[in-house]
Amino acid sequence: MAHGLRALLLASTVGFTASPILGHHSFTATYDTERRVSLEGVVTRVDWVNPHAYVFVNVVDDQGTTMNWALEFGNIFDLERDGWSEDTVAIGDRVAVEAYPARGTSRRAFATAVIRSDTGRRVFAAAGSTDGAASNRPAPRWPDGQVRLGPLPGEKGHWGPASVAGLFEDAGTEIPMNGDAILGNLADVGRVAPFQPWARALYERRQRRLLVDDPMTRCVPPGGPRQFHTAYGFQFVEQRELGRILVLLGGGNRNWRVIHTDRRPVGQREEVVRTYYGTSVGRWEADTLVVESVGYNERFWFTRGGLPHTEQLRLTERFTRPDFDTLRYEVTVDDPGAYTRPWTGSWTIRWLPGEDIQEYFCEENAESTFLR
Amino acid sequence: MRIFSALCLLAGLILPGAAQAQEGHPLTGTWSGDWGPNLEEREHLTVVMRWDGENVTGLINPGPRSVVLGTVRLDVTDWTVRLEAGARDDSGRSVPIAAEGRLENLESAHRTLRGTWRQGDRQGGFLLTRD
Repeated sequence: MAHGLRALLLASTVGFTASPILGHHSFTATYDTERRVSLEGVVTRVDWVNPHAYVFVNVVDDQGTTMNWALEFGNIFDLERDGWSEDTVAIGDRVAVEAYPARGTSRRAFATAVIRSDTGRRVFAAAGSTDGAASNRPAPRWPDGQVRLGPLPGEKGHWGPASVAGLFEDAGTEIPMNGDAILGNLADVGRVAPFQPWARALYERRQRRLLVDDPMTRCVPPGGPRQFHTAYGFQFVEQRELGRILVLLGGGNRNWRVIHTDRRPVGQREEVVRTYYGTSVGRWEADTLVVESVGYNERFWFTRGGLPHTEQLRLTERFTRPDFDTLRYEVTVDDPGAYTRPWTGSWTIRWLPGEDIQEYFCEENAESTFLR
Repeated sequence: MRIFSALCLLAGLILPGAAQAQEGHPLTGTWSGDWGPNLEEREHLTVVMRWDGENVTGLINPGPRSVVLGTVRLDVTDWTVRLEAGARDDSGRSVPIAAEGRLENLESAHRTLRGTWRQGDRQGGFLLTRD
């Protein structure tokens, strides 16, 4: 067992820069970036689903046995930006694929390059970047001067990638972690947050296991700060006349969260049961939306990377839009059940213009259904 | 319609027993199992534990003859647990309870706690599974 953990940890370290942010499952736990496989075969199926596209290929081995491989291609929006479409390869096409194989014995891999065998044309090369140029526009405002958190009327756009992979306490220096929020050095655990002993031990255990137990892989909603850390973005819908702001999530099961801005009392749980998104009440302090939330259940990981929490969790979030393309997110975690004192972390989130968040239901996703 | 009714009935039978995932303090929850000196002589055991931020509190066998947990210590270096409580027998005499076990399958909602249970002058193994 210890050997296995060491092996996993080594793999994590070696693959430290190689794991794209896939959002709902740990890439490091799923794929072995220390190994590569070269496959050639005929496409039998194309699943163009959010968030990960899959192409299935029949590969004949040296003994003449045909085996069907599932090849994952990552986020379909990134693929589309890179010029890939649903029709780039079709059933019956012969392709050669370079890929990272899955851990274990399953015939599954993460494709990094695809070449059409008939033409020799490379039809896919993993890019993994969604960077775009900043617009240099000022933060949009409502007629009364208050900052808007969503798009301007007639424009499309949503909030996308975060500047860091996981939440950690702001202490002047960034803590190295890979795209899955797995620490580059486990010795940094004590810098992540002021843990109680049990919470530190549990967090470290989750990290050592490369987050393979993450409830989000079983389609559990990304409550807490994690909702602003999914790879598929989110959107604010400000319903000022109703005294509320809706947060629409691209990375949950078409989830939404309600932030009440009707001056109701803060810190009071309103739902009958404890929930994944809690009861949130917001107010504007100049150009910053301050949101206080309580009422969380303990059935989810509230951050990427596996920080534990308890029902005592109380969050104070601050949203600031200093310019059109940037959202600064700051969250103070007050959970005396898991941490020795309140602590604060933050990151920035980039605006993705010209597109809307897409429909995404985890249950139909490859990870959660047909490959389990 | 018959199939739909059958599915509804099946769902009704399954759902009440569905696991409530618990990703917070690993001892929080209701645990069921038994203890005894051998496989034939077993006594049912229900232990309810809750982490309040400082201590784990709870009950053994909730009901009219429940026993309040005294101390519960979790050693996170090896996920071992020590429980202590004071029960009373039918004559009202104090019967100390002390149990030591180890958490297993920690990531599961149905994680287990297995070890040795002492109650008065009796001793045996116990196995608890989180409901």
